[in-house]
Amino acid sequence: MPRKKSHYHNLKNKWIDKHSKIQDKVLSTHPELVRHVTDRTKQLAIGSLGSLMLLTSPVLPQAFKEEPKPIPQNEKSESDEVKKVDNKSFLIHDLENVLPDKVRPLNGDEEKIVEKILTRHFNVPVAGELEGKKLNTQYGIIGAEQHLMRYPGDTMSTHFATNQESQKYFSSGMAPGRGAWGYFASSRQAMTQKDVDREKYYIAVQTFLSENFNSRFAEYRDFYKYRKMLVVNPQNGKGVVAVIGDAGPAQWTGKHLGGSPEVMIHLERVDGKRRGAVLYFFIDDPDDKIPLGPINLK
Amino acid sequence: MTQKQFYSKVTQIETLKVELEDLNLTQEEKAHLSRLIDASLHNTILDLILSELSEEDKRVFLDHLVTDDHTKIWQHLNKNIEGVEKKIRKAADELHKELKRDIHEVKKDA
Repeated sequence: MPRKKSHYHNLKNKWIDKHSKIQDKVLSTHPELVRHVTDRTKQLAIGSLGSLMLLTSPVLPQAFKEEPKPIPQNEKSESDEVKKVDNKSFLIHDLENVLPDKVRPLNGDEEKIVEKILTRHFNVPVAGELEGKKLNTQYGIIGAEQHLMRYPGDTMSTHFATNQESQKYFSSGMAPGRGAWGYFASSRQAMTQKDVDREKYYIAVQTFLSENFNSRFAEYRDFYKYRKMLVVNPQNGKGVVAVIGDAGPAQWTGKHLGGSPEVMIHLERVDGKRRGAVLYFFIDDPDDKIPLGPINLK
Repeated sequence: MTQKQFYSKVTQIETLKVELEDLNLTQEEKAHLSRLIDASLHNTILDLILSELSEEDKRVFLDHLVTDDHTKIWQHLNKNIEGVEKKIRKAADELHKELKRDIHEVKKDA
């Protein structure tokens, strides 16, 4: 029923906006809320700024329904840990208010609100649509991808810089073919740190499902090649700056995008029965200043 | 799930939720909008109270808030903010009017 839907969506969007403004005002006018939390070293991690405004706020996000964990004793990390918990809890709460219960493409209003939320929390300019181009969705189920061959002759034995990396990421294996844009470098010698990072933090997205993809193939192919994106797990607030490094997965898989092993591990997302959704938005970074990899909340 | 707040007795925000009944929303949609009403009210009142307290009194208030001791909260507020109940009621009423106006605006689209 279109009329009923518009009532709910109109009110929801207005009230989310209103609530965000009120919340921002409270935090900026009353920094003692944050200081109070960081001074109370014996408070549990969840008994934090987030709890003063959320747990004691009538909205109880899923994140706070677990047993709280104690704050570590080291003073500097205590303050940092509390702030990280606080910021993540706000992000999770903000997203929870706007994301649909079912994983599906966001409508125009939802997309705009999520853009604002992510831009504000991560301090990077994100957009669902960039240069008139848009993916089929910005909210989708992520699956696991394998490592990609970075240059001719790259194998699992040459792929990792350290033993630690090898231990962590070896089991994902290497894709038998190259990514959609071929090798990242012409040779091992020619490979730069940027090439290394692009393969490390890549996602595969359904470029082929973009509107006009087939009729403007070359334009879209070039636009999507290594396009920088912010990928966020809305359940834990973790984010990573990644590039589009491959095309896929096929629609029949039920997944909307794939993440490299490094992306999946950072976001704490898994494939299979326990797979989950992420948000993925373009980052507007024409000067290529935003580094690839895990990104902290501001 | 919403909890009873220390200010629940002086605000009439529940009547606003009744207005949502006229919009033919699903239970989920009603619940979500109700939560948004509660959250906005909570932070509005938090802002009001913190704006009226000294630094030390803010700390005491926040301690009571975390433990959710309504008796201690009111004792503290009544001692330190003149006419606190009236001020809370006024802030809640203003928010109530704004949100009610929003509801009537969407109803007009019916």
